[in-house]
Amino acid sequence: MNLKKIKLFAKNIRKNIIFAAFKAGSKSAHIGGALSSADIVAVLYSDILKIKKKKTLDDNRDRFILSKGHACLALYSALVEKKILKKKELETFESDGSNLLGHPIINKLSGIEFSTGSLGMGLALGVGVALAAKKKQKKYKTYVILGDGECNEGSIWESVLCASHFKLDNMTIIVDKNNFQQTGKNSSIMDLKNLTNKFKSFGCEAIEIDGHDIKKIYKSLNKKNSKKPKVIVANTTKGKGIQMFENDNNWHHSVITKSIYKNIIKEL
Amino acid sequence: MKNKSKYIEVFIKSLSIDKKKFSEKLKYNDIPEWDSIGHMTLMSGLEDAFKISIDTDDIIDFSSFKKGIQILKKYKIN
Amino acid sequence: MKIENNIKLWSSLGMRATFGLIAMELAKKHPELIITTSDVSTSAGLDRYKNKYPDKYIDVGIAEQNLIGVSAGLSSEGFKVISTTFAPFQTLRCCEQIKVNLGYMKHKICMVGLASGLVLGNLGFTHCSIEDIGTLRSIPNISIVVPSDPFELFKVLNEAIDYKNSVYIRLTAGANSKIINSKDYEFKIGKAVEILPGNDVTIIGCGNILGNCLEAASILKKKNVQCSVVNMHTIKPIDHEIIRNITSKNKLILTVEEHNIIGGLGSSVAEVLSSYNHNCKLVRLGINDFYSSGGSYEYLKNIYGLSVEKIIETVLSNL
Repeated sequence: MNLKKIKLFAKNIRKNIIFAAFKAGSKSAHIGGALSSADIVAVLYSDILKIKKKKTLDDNRDRFILSKGHACLALYSALVEKKILKKKELETFESDGSNLLGHPIINKLSGIEFSTGSLGMGLALGVGVALAAKKKQKKYKTYVILGDGECNEGSIWESVLCASHFKLDNMTIIVDKNNFQQTGKNSSIMDLKNLTNKFKSFGCEAIEIDGHDIKKIYKSLNKKNSKKPKVIVANTTKGKGIQMFENDNNWHHSVITKSIYKNIIKEL
Repeated sequence: MKNKSKYIEVFIKSLSIDKKKFSEKLKYNDIPEWDSIGHMTLMSGLEDAFKISIDTDDIIDFSSFKKGIQILKKYKIN
Repeated sequence: MKIENNIKLWSSLGMRATFGLIAMELAKKHPELIITTSDVSTSAGLDRYKNKYPDKYIDVGIAEQNLIGVSAGLSSEGFKVISTTFAPFQTLRCCEQIKVNLGYMKHKICMVGLASGLVLGNLGFTHCSIEDIGTLRSIPNISIVVPSDPFELFKVLNEAIDYKNSVYIRLTAGANSKIINSKDYEFKIGKAVEILPGNDVTIIGCGNILGNCLEAASILKKKNVQCSVVNMHTIKPIDHEIIRNITSKNKLILTVEEHNIIGGLGSSVAEVLSSYNHNCKLVRLGINDFYSSGGSYEYLKNIYGLSVEKIIETVLSNL
């Protein structure tokens, strides 16, 4: 593991997130939730996922599903860093006719596996894709990022039960647990209590880590699991990386003005 | 039963079984071929072979080869 | 397999059990077939299939939202997927998943809705489906077909499995269903079939209720009213051409369906009729936008005006 390389990747993801959000202007963007996912996405795209820039349709590629679709800026930014998307395309974020909207639109050629954004649906797709791998005896792995608020959706738990029932050990679920959802803190809206234990009781191999510790993220993604799906509950900070955004839920979906951009880009 | 050989033939054909698998002791659900679908196929086969129309109650009561012989008597098949 | 022998057997089995038999044939022809269900095997006639092809069968339990997502995931990886459960759960419980996965992302799945319409009325309206056509019609990229009898189901499935987009197949009636097609005929998704020619009135129906339409037409003939009966098996895309032909000859169209008159066959025909000039009156027979008390299939058909007598009455009072 090249720690320096991954840290740089993560920094560039954050730069790209801020850049794209700024370009979107008054259309506003989901910023806080993209920043909290940035380190997880950085480790995945820089070192873990077997995805190559000219082979995005390769049948043996690893599948990455951003079920937490509103964090799409993290995904697009990672794809830019991997040179699968061009930086110029990032400038079209949320503009008319663009392929890069406020939630991912399926475009496998560009490395976007599925259209997500309606929370609670990406995990079932992941289960289907992981099941397909077992049936076709393929070695690719499936990774799904969920939001913690997203775990309010019953459909998520249908899929978790299913993944465990079918012993999908070729599947890793990562929960970006930044403790906030749209209207406020998870604990006041719909308390998840001990999320890790919930996944364990549903038959998964679940661990909890610091979602901004690159080494821990890398280690947990590489840890071998067998006969059970792997779940990594990553404790994160919403808005991580930009001081004025951190833990401020106003930055769930907001506008980055020119002056704000000038200030915050210095931090990166 | 005069029509016995015909009756046996319908069983074998409708249930798609080998002559060896057939026995007069055969009952519904004894063999995988005589499941609910096999049963309806059998009823259809008997209706065609003997030119009768079997009542729903009799379809339900038709639980074995032997019971079937009794039921068919109602339809004047001996 | 001689066609005519099968028609009689299949009708006595009904559409659900026939689906199970057809699935066995499809598995032989399509090695990439996977059937997914939400805890319904026997009810879909799939016990034999499940035993013979366990690796082509996935039961996700009573979790219809997951059913659609998993099916879509499998479809995205190259499998030919048929999903099935009872019609209300197949369509309404997972409606948004259908919109996002089948409509928006265009993942191809054949959805078979079991026991739609009124056939399970003795279990109450939670197990009847009078809203499925209307709900799915407003989602792009999904065709909707209502086979009239088990023989037609055989034809629908064989075409749907390789059709260009997702297809919702709505099964109606139970065991001992009426035989609508007693001989082989040409079937194509999107092409309605005139099953009885006539001149004064046209009854357009979908599903096994066409049996009552045919019976009504035969009685009306004795009263000197010549009814043609059209099997509009495909609600979406609807056959515009046959509707235009009908309005060029007749003055009265009666649509008959085991579905709300809002949103289903009747509404679809009305939409077509509103798009051009003609002199035809349209009367929609079906569920008049209310849930009655439960009861047997016959009891409910009577309440909603779908019995033979009520169809005749409706034709005569609108001539």
